[in-house]
Amino acid sequence: MTLIGMGGLVGFMSGMFGVGGGFLMTPLLIFIGIPPAVAVASEANQIVASSVSGGLAHWRRRAVDIRMGLILMSGGVAGSYAGVQLFKLLRALGQVDLLISSSYVIFLSVIGALMLRESLHAIRETRKGRPIRVRRPGQHSWILRLPLRMRFRQSGLYISIIPPLLIGFLVGMLSAIMGVGGGFIMVPAMIYLLRMPTNVVIGTSLFQIIFVTSAVTVLHAVENQTVDIVLAVLLMIGGVIGAQFGAIAGQRLRGEELRALLALIVLGVACKLLLDLVFEPAELFSIQRLEVGP
Amino acid sequence: MKTTLSFLASVVLAAMCVSSGMAQKAHANALVADLSKDQIRVASNFTGEKILLFGAIEGRDTGGASDVVVVVRGPSENFTLRRKKRVAGIWVNAEARTLGPLPGYYAVASTRPLADIAPVSERAKHQIGPEYLRFSLLDQTPEAAAPKTGSHSGPRDIALYHESFVRIKSGQNLYSVDPDGVRIIADRLFRAELTLPSGLPFGTYITEFFLFEKGRVVGYQTGELSVAITGLEQWLRVTAHDMPLLYGLFGVFIAGLMGWGVATLFRRV
Repeated sequence: MTLIGMGGLVGFMSGMFGVGGGFLMTPLLIFIGIPPAVAVASEANQIVASSVSGGLAHWRRRAVDIRMGLILMSGGVAGSYAGVQLFKLLRALGQVDLLISSSYVIFLSVIGALMLRESLHAIRETRKGRPIRVRRPGQHSWILRLPLRMRFRQSGLYISIIPPLLIGFLVGMLSAIMGVGGGFIMVPAMIYLLRMPTNVVIGTSLFQIIFVTSAVTVLHAVENQTVDIVLAVLLMIGGVIGAQFGAIAGQRLRGEELRALLALIVLGVACKLLLDLVFEPAELFSIQRLEVGP
Repeated sequence: MKTTLSFLASVVLAAMCVSSGMAQKAHANALVADLSKDQIRVASNFTGEKILLFGAIEGRDTGGASDVVVVVRGPSENFTLRRKKRVAGIWVNAEARTLGPLPGYYAVASTRPLADIAPVSERAKHQIGPEYLRFSLLDQTPEAAAPKTGSHSGPRDIALYHESFVRIKSGQNLYSVDPDGVRIIADRLFRAELTLPSGLPFGTYITEFFLFEKGRVVGYQTGELSVAITGLEQWLRVTAHDMPLLYGLFGVFIAGLMGWGVATLFRRV
């Protein structure tokens, strides 16, 4: 029941803010006492469901660059394999919880701070009545002119496949370690680094997230046996219901204010995780059943 | 219903033994005992279950000087115990030791505090009380085999690991000591009620009944209790363990189906 409720809460937020809930859900699961390794793997499983339902809507609008999605996905699947292997190694060393927490602290605080700065800036500008300028970096980027170029008709690009492969790899690795879809990195990377048109960005991102989180789920199940399908299904149920209400609530608030609010939540979660690492825990010992190795 | 019947049956049996004046016998049958159920089925909605452990003291005329101790132990397993230390300002797992074999579940109930019933030697001999469970440091894991400063295991360390292990298990309600969990009725019958918590390890449990007089064991009986998962949970668990690839694909399949279902449903609405 708690889990469905939490799925609902995070679903509400993800519907309201238009983000995938992974990077809020996984820390929440850890806060209520689910072992971090299980939280990550099961959350990846849940994201498969939410990205399928989100992705299908974009698919129907033909807002998916399939070729780009497949390139990102190839990088992503390789990255998730690397991530799961790292996860497995650190798990044997008893350090995986630290890896998860510290990854979250770093990513959440950076992203939260950037979002907060950007949204406060936007709020100030709109109060002054100025139109918001979308900042775009320089015209041509050398990284897109690397060899192995390919034409992406849907995006109207002719760029090297090396950057998308690398971005995919990085996000795939994060997905495996943090139990996130990685849209919060993928989307800005696609817009600012790959210069993809915004109308295909979300759809393409969701398209590749479906496959990357599927790969993460299967790999975690095989290598670490940390996927809890029952937990994932409960989260899915809550998430689906919450997202619908969240989307309605989101329409009543303004974009910049929504982003500022989300930024504060993200920073709050990062703070809590950091404090848990810094303060002396009440229980210094932990036990783990020893798995009988093959 | 079955519970009541078997309880009544044992009461009758005990009464017969007493009235027929059966002579004092060897210590193996100074005690008869049973459980209200010998199989616990755990499904996903399992939040704990009560079992009744009961029996009769046979042919001893001590005028209420007997004590009964009931021990329930889960299947033995090996555990990795990690200890956090402060490294560069943050708390990380810095030390790992492998302990075992230790029961995943351990409960002891008695008529009086254990210390009043039997001396330490007797309790240690029968492993009554979590502090007397015997185990060793196995340390076959690579991280523990690697030499590290401060990880030398002296007897003091072992005591600390033991204590910490019991503390964590007690916190999860998987280890318990109930000094007045056993009631003796009319000097002959005894009963103990035990609530098995959620999160029970699965497998065969051993129940032990001890009859103590003047600090010595004068009656003993042992039995078994099986804790098993059923239905969908069992299938999921077995699959997750034995066919992890299938399990993972199944998880993805369910998620895909659900995502598709939701997308279709909300498009129609």
